[in-house]
Amino acid sequence: MIEFDRVTVHYPEAAEPALREVDLTVGEGELCLVVGRTGAGKSTLLGAINGLVPHFTGGHLHGEVRVGGVSTASRPPREFAHLVGRVGQDPLAGFVTDTVEDELAYTMEQLGVRPEVMRKRVEETLDLLGIAELRRRPLRTLSGGQQQRVAIGAVLTAHPAVLVLDEPTSALDPTAAEDVLAAITRLVHDLGVTVVAAEHRMERVVQYADRLVHLPGDGSVLVGSPSEVLDVSSVAPPVVELGRLAGWRPLPLSVRDARRRAAGLRERLRDQPRPVRGRAPVGADDQPRLVARRVVVRYARLPAVREVSVELAPGAVVALMGRNGSGKSSLLWALQGSGPRQGGTVSVDGTDPKEVGAAEARALVGLVPQTPGDLLYLETVAEECEQADRESEAPEGTCRRLLDRLTPGIPPDLHPRDLSEGQRLSLVLAVQLTAAPAVVLLDEPTRGLDYHAKANFGALVRELASEGRAVLLATHDVEFVAGVSDRVVVLAEGEVVADGPTAEVVVASPAFAPQVAKVLSPQPWLTVSEVRDALAGAEARV
Amino acid sequence: MTGDGHRPEVPTGAGHGAEGATSRSGAGEVGAGAPGRPSSGSAAAGRSESPRPPAPEAAASGAGDEHETRPPAADPRPADRGDDGGRTPRGRSTGSVGPTGEPDVADPRPPNGPPRVVRIAPRTAVVLALASLAGFAMFFWPLFAAPEPEAMAHSADAPLIFVVVLPVLIGIVLAELSSGGIDSKALAMLGVLSAINAALRPLGAGTAGIETVFFMLVLAGRVFGPGFGFVLGSTSLFASALLTAGVGPWLPFQMLASSWVGLGAGLLPRRVRGRWEIVMLAGYGAFSAYFFGFVMNMWFWPFTAGIDTQLSFVPGDPVVENLHRFVIFTLYTSTFGWDTGRALTNVLAITLVGAAVLAVLRRAARRAAFHAPVSFDRG
Amino acid sequence: MTSRFPERGRLPRTLHPGAWWLWALGLATAASRTTNPVLLVLIIAVAGLVVARRRGDAPWALAFRLYLLLGAFIVFSRVLFRVVFGGGQGDHILFTLPEIPLPAWAAGIRLFGPVAVEQLLGGLYDGLRLATMVVCIGAANALANPKRLLKAVPGALYQVGSAVVVALSVAPQLVESVLRVRRARRLRGGRQRGMRALRGIVIPVLADAMDRSLALAAAMDSRGYGRVGTLSPRARLVTGVLVLGGLVGVCVGVYGLMDGSAPRQLGLPMLLAGTAVAAAGLLWGGRQVRRSVHRPDRWRLGEVLVVCCGIGSGGLLYLTSQVDAANLYPSLNPLAWPELALLPSLAVLVGVLPAWLAPPPELSSPPAGGWDERRPASSGVPARVGGSAEGTAGLTAAGAEPVVPAHRTGGGGDGEPPGPPSRAQERTTP
Repeated sequence: MIEFDRVTVHYPEAAEPALREVDLTVGEGELCLVVGRTGAGKSTLLGAINGLVPHFTGGHLHGEVRVGGVSTASRPPREFAHLVGRVGQDPLAGFVTDTVEDELAYTMEQLGVRPEVMRKRVEETLDLLGIAELRRRPLRTLSGGQQQRVAIGAVLTAHPAVLVLDEPTSALDPTAAEDVLAAITRLVHDLGVTVVAAEHRMERVVQYADRLVHLPGDGSVLVGSPSEVLDVSSVAPPVVELGRLAGWRPLPLSVRDARRRAAGLRERLRDQPRPVRGRAPVGADDQPRLVARRVVVRYARLPAVREVSVELAPGAVVALMGRNGSGKSSLLWALQGSGPRQGGTVSVDGTDPKEVGAAEARALVGLVPQTPGDLLYLETVAEECEQADRESEAPEGTCRRLLDRLTPGIPPDLHPRDLSEGQRLSLVLAVQLTAAPAVVLLDEPTRGLDYHAKANFGALVRELASEGRAVLLATHDVEFVAGVSDRVVVLAEGEVVADGPTAEVVVASPAFAPQVAKVLSPQPWLTVSEVRDALAGAEARV
Repeated sequence: MTGDGHRPEVPTGAGHGAEGATSRSGAGEVGAGAPGRPSSGSAAAGRSESPRPPAPEAAASGAGDEHETRPPAADPRPADRGDDGGRTPRGRSTGSVGPTGEPDVADPRPPNGPPRVVRIAPRTAVVLALASLAGFAMFFWPLFAAPEPEAMAHSADAPLIFVVVLPVLIGIVLAELSSGGIDSKALAMLGVLSAINAALRPLGAGTAGIETVFFMLVLAGRVFGPGFGFVLGSTSLFASALLTAGVGPWLPFQMLASSWVGLGAGLLPRRVRGRWEIVMLAGYGAFSAYFFGFVMNMWFWPFTAGIDTQLSFVPGDPVVENLHRFVIFTLYTSTFGWDTGRALTNVLAITLVGAAVLAVLRRAARRAAFHAPVSFDRG
Repeated sequence: MTSRFPERGRLPRTLHPGAWWLWALGLATAASRTTNPVLLVLIIAVAGLVVARRRGDAPWALAFRLYLLLGAFIVFSRVLFRVVFGGGQGDHILFTLPEIPLPAWAAGIRLFGPVAVEQLLGGLYDGLRLATMVVCIGAANALANPKRLLKAVPGALYQVGSAVVVALSVAPQLVESVLRVRRARRLRGGRQRGMRALRGIVIPVLADAMDRSLALAAAMDSRGYGRVGTLSPRARLVTGVLVLGGLVGVCVGVYGLMDGSAPRQLGLPMLLAGTAVAAAGLLWGGRQVRRSVHRPDRWRLGEVLVVCCGIGSGGLLYLTSQVDAANLYPSLNPLAWPELALLPSLAVLVGVLPAWLAPPPELSSPPAGGWDERRPASSGVPARVGGSAEGTAGLTAAGAEPVVPAHRTGGGGDGEPPGPPSRAQERTTP
């Protein structure tokens, strides 16, 4: 269906080719997963399929890309609309119209499909993706998972043979991701659509993939069956890493595969000392830095947070979990003092951040919002840093020093918008840390980060805590939580439904358990590195 | 991230381009000889100073390099930052594949050729001129209205007829401007900027004449050229009218007037840069605020004043006397309130954020890579 | 509202927006033919009744009230203008205000002075006529769905129309983005105030919007936007000749209309002919665009009837004005009470028929869709999460069938799942 014939792609401004001598054939009805680190060329590969690269982006394509026998050199991307359906990373940004039904019809309108046919296909697609009840809804009021499914439906109505998905589940919470994946697998299995998807959160998708394309980062690709490629891949989901560690062959791709082989490993681990999580108490006078009692947040009459009480101890990382809309963000904003708070008290070392001015509140509690870019408005990284120093009346260079500690080597004259997701996160964090807050709140910090960036960021969060700060992070990312947090608070409908040490809360939960825990439960191992340490300990003792 | 990354082995050499199927996207939409754009020769010469491989010339084998969009030698950017910078995974789907933007700090040389994303071909220019002429007359008819009773009966109808005719005229000009095909990037930019203008409008309306539409229109016209400015002026007001259900007989006149403002912003001298550019744009912003108020008042004059007050137009009077009356009318009714408020808003907004907004828009234009060379070869 | 008048046997549907516009223009034409206040008020009443019976529940349907206010304002300002600048023509002086002569440069104009009944009535009649026309347009605004209207633009304007469609769908997102950024400013101290604060808001929003526009362009490109055939050179030539010829005609026509010494044919007929020719060129040029419309609005009996009523109303009144214009323009000199004649009243009343002839409007199902998502904030969800803390191990590995109904799950939006704007506003902090 899709053929890459020795494809090399060059962008006009780049020294190195984004893709180098890529040979790839994807057959009909295959689900092909493209993985690799940020910037390894995943988007280029996907864009080349329908000719956006280079028609849209500019650049030079050496070699040939054919879809259904048609070369992308022969016609512009719009002439591929009936062959290739492409859904971008942010579905909302790609919507042209404003209601679900119009959006589903848009592609067909461009293709000049007859109104009767159009009507029929819209109905079919609504059913196929299970979004019939949304048909008249404005697109921006949909949740992320619904938007993603509408976006898929919007390209499906043209009956393309190939579906190209760029990060379809990266930004979704686990349940929404499952909805989207269920829709995708149905398309592959029932309709024989060829799907090419790039995804950071491999643990979600890899088990469905027929073929894996790994981009190591030098422009080349590695193609093969998932377990072959993962054996050598630089990125791998935890279950695969566990498989590598335990020496299972072929590598397990799903929790089920792994669990069926894990009896021996569980046996080996049974007598090992339980992993020590979290920190040793800092001292006897270990007073909590932030104490919140019975916090209430309401929008109009709708309660978002219902009488939640939280204590954040110095040196501890607390994860706030729960599905979207459960009040996580509202709670963070209320704790920082910038968001609304209709009831309850918040005290940071005796001061309520809502009572004091914005600058003072910032010195008490630093919050990195979900879209960190909202805080950046200057033209270079250096200017942002200087501005941050001025804002918090910190000595000159404070922010830059912090940034260099968090992520060294960001060129000062770079535009903040040109930073990668991880770099931007670091910049905003540095800006917020310039005010030296004792409490740091992070809202969905790992969105859009690849495994490496996530690991780096996790280490960084631990470091912040080890300096005596209290850290509270709201996230969906169970693997990240497993590696980083000491305590987990689960919110549902604005109420705390679980609060306890990470292992206790997470291990038994179907929604919040990391893959390693699912494989090894009931034993409380959460991450591959814990297992590795335990095994090493076991060998040392033997 | 090194500064010197322009390695000579960047392929897309002229050889490749020449032997392969060289195609370009949107070559047809780009003005072949739009004024103010450097010739391919000068662009190439500019490039040859920098340690650059002959990459762009590969494309030049096809449609040519007259589609110059970048400052010729403004390349002191980290070269391999494509690795991390710009290749961001979220919300940047295209950025990740596009040539990523360059740092905006220094724009050492003014890009002489702005991205003329909506081309004004000679025929379009004629259409634009004719329609503007007719439109102008429809604004200013009271000054020239004939004295005879016969025509008087007409002059009561004239504004109503104009209300019907003007939308057709605007439609024709817009169709003509887009007949070369507005490419998707320009169109999306147009849509988003119209939305910004439309969303900005209610922010200011009502509070002491603060009118925020023009500030972005002027800046966008400046960056994206006269054709884009003209279309943006119309689409902004139209979208705003639809959003607030404010479609009325005044709408075509507002659209035409603001289109002229956008067009004018695009026609301002290109060479002016830096601080003087802001001064010039702020001045133009003030001028356009008064201009808009003036012509809209002119259109509304007969409706407000009727024909039998001291400030009404008198058919058949010399133009100057009518104009005199009108000036007094407009001074009393709006100049000191609305128009001055609008002018002040424009000047303040352009002075305070003009430079930053220009930088964002220019960066967007660069990232969009309008007319970026596209080439294929089969290898 | 309209739902109180359920009509049997007639399916609710949205009428073609063009039909409402033509109807309203017909009524506006009728209004332009008279200054008789009784007739004008009758026209306003007709428009109001039709709007009340046939508008939907979309936001634009509520705009009619604004137009009524605007009409009132027009009448008021017109009368006020007469009082201030009137110059006191007329015999029946009502009262006299102290006169203020303006300096010499102001063309010898005096402010205030004697106020005559004729003056006031003249202002009232004129203002009322204009106000009535504005109200008619307002009725069209309230009745016609602007988005459907955009779908009906001729092919040649397809691209510009697309830009407006994009603008309409992006604008609400931008408003949300502005609110979000404003809220976020406090996190950085947010010390600047007023215009200085503008930068911290404008730049992130604008930069975000620009990035979004690129993503949108890529999406549109890969979804077939701009898939239009190319015009043959001959067709291009025809279009060009038509458009240019028509425009020259328009220019000549405008000139002829203003210059009294020009032959009559050079005026209005030339203007209209020129417009028609140019419009023909526009339509011809748009033939290349082949695209279709989802759920197209078709012209059916209802549309035709509505248009006939509007045009009929205007046409009848126009005919009346040719036959017997006296009643249409009440005399100010000598002063006389406006009279109501049968024929013009009938003409106006033709315009009210759509209140019954047009099919009832389709009401959008649940009002305010955004709220539904959040409302069922009770059903069995805590149980699920709570249960998770106790131990139903490894049941739902990734990929199992979704347990939570789709509309409860959230995703990557911005913070909370997006709610209606009113909610978003609540969320912002000063």
